[in-house]
Amino acid sequence: MIGRREWPALVVFGAAALAPLVIRDGFLLDSLILILLWGAVSGAWNVAGGYAGQVSLGHSAFFGLGAYSAALLATRFHQSPWLGLLVGAVLATLAGLVIGYLANRLKGPYFGLATIAFSQVLLILASRWRAVTSGSEGIPVPFRPGLWTLGFQSKVPWVYLILALAVCVYLVARYLETSRPGYQLAGVREDEDAAEALGIPSRRLKVAAIAVSAALTSVCGGLWAQYVGFVDPFYVFSVDLSVRFALNSIIGGIGTAIGPFVGSFLITSLEIYLRATFSDFKAGLIGIYLIIYGCLLIVVVRFVPQGLVGWLGERLRAVGRYARA
Amino acid sequence: MLELESVTKRFGGLTAVKDVTFRAAPGEILGIIGPNGAGKTTLFNVVSGFYAPDGGRVRFDGRDISGMSPHDICVLGLTRTFQLVKPFGNLSVLDNVMIGALTRQRSVSAAREEARRVVATCRLDAFAQSRARSLPIGLRKRLEVARALATRPRILLLDEVMSGLNPAELSEMIMILRGLHADGLGLIVIEHIMAAMMRLAQRIVVLHHGEKIAEGRPEEISRDPRVVDAYLGEEFVLADA
Repeated sequence: MIGRREWPALVVFGAAALAPLVIRDGFLLDSLILILLWGAVSGAWNVAGGYAGQVSLGHSAFFGLGAYSAALLATRFHQSPWLGLLVGAVLATLAGLVIGYLANRLKGPYFGLATIAFSQVLLILASRWRAVTSGSEGIPVPFRPGLWTLGFQSKVPWVYLILALAVCVYLVARYLETSRPGYQLAGVREDEDAAEALGIPSRRLKVAAIAVSAALTSVCGGLWAQYVGFVDPFYVFSVDLSVRFALNSIIGGIGTAIGPFVGSFLITSLEIYLRATFSDFKAGLIGIYLIIYGCLLIVVVRFVPQGLVGWLGERLRAVGRYARA
Repeated sequence: MLELESVTKRFGGLTAVKDVTFRAAPGEILGIIGPNGAGKTTLFNVVSGFYAPDGGRVRFDGRDISGMSPHDICVLGLTRTFQLVKPFGNLSVLDNVMIGALTRQRSVSAAREEARRVVATCRLDAFAQSRARSLPIGLRKRLEVARALATRPRILLLDEVMSGLNPAELSEMIMILRGLHADGLGLIVIEHIMAAMMRLAQRIVVLHHGEKIAEGRPEEISRDPRVVDAYLGEEFVLADA
């Protein structure tokens, strides 16, 4: 059954599903894929950062684990990237358990700092362990056509693949808004002691949420590596990327299922637009998106701390009341 | 039945609770009084699992629960409220209570139904959809009780749920608590408001400097010279007489 609350998602994902029927332009399809992908990673971040209240600034650790797992299994062992996604998810789950263990000891900013440190340790590992990872040169992912090897000549299959991923992440978030563990997790986020007194195993739930978030992030990283075709340690493990995951959610609406996708739509399209506009000799200006990022963040946190989705929801309800009156 | 046997809790050099022994019978209303810093809340923290005792034992229905986690103790049927109320501020009153009900209920819709009943019992129906953080303190105290109640405890520890209430709210709270008692729920109540305590408690334990200095029926306690000395003061006895 599709409830009243699903219509924004139907609009967003429906539009994405119909887009390839109308759009033939490779650049626009590429933009669509990236918007969905960054939205999906941010949605995965949101499971820990929004729903469990564990604001991580090191989620690139899981993204990179996924990207490397898929790329290494394909290049070194000639396995299917699907297997790589699975291996990456398992590794990220284990890493998520470690981070979750930290979360039970470190609160707020200290947890955020610990997660940054964790991603940077993986960055050093990936950029120095040349024998396995090729070090800082990165890994080119070979193109092998076929669904099993995740190689497509056209962008259209990628749209649907990433769309499916995005819908999965969205459904996980909706599950957290409507299920028993989801409500219990909300209790833990609001007040851990109160949750404990009410019979909720708060630590276990937090760790589980972080592990799920890590696994989903890793799958996104694996698919990203296959799509882009190259894994660079300084990109996939970067703090930049971690911040982007968090920002999409914060701007779109932290702790909402559709928020990360709204945030990604704004941020990703802005970045792509700036990249396209300031090419060649003005390439230095691409960095402007970082400034716009920062300004947007300040405006959102100052004026609409609940994010755009929450703000729009309130406006719409207010209009509804006005219309009825 | 809850039994405390020589329970001791130390913080560094300070012994906050020292060698405290008492029992609470099933369905009983037991009061705990004492001056500020007497160790009442620390005692609740030990019994409800937030602190492990440094000495002694806590038994619930014959089972040793000392050092168990709060959530496991809650599942056994013993839970508490907090003196500094801890509502899930961004959630509605009904959702707050429903999260309590989910401890026994697997299904969200069944838990929501149960939460509605508990909210009605605690006379919060009019505020069911309000955000918890928007409630005034009197209603937040009642929400604490409602949420704990939704976990279906057999013994409920109430940490100053009556302080800070206006007279009307106070009477209402006493009525609610009496109703719960009539339904067979055991209550252990920490309270500073002696008038309320006298009306409610069947027995009272008095703590002072972490030690139990007296135990008995309210009228005995109010005349006990040690209690008057340590806590109640001359005036209370005069006013009471």
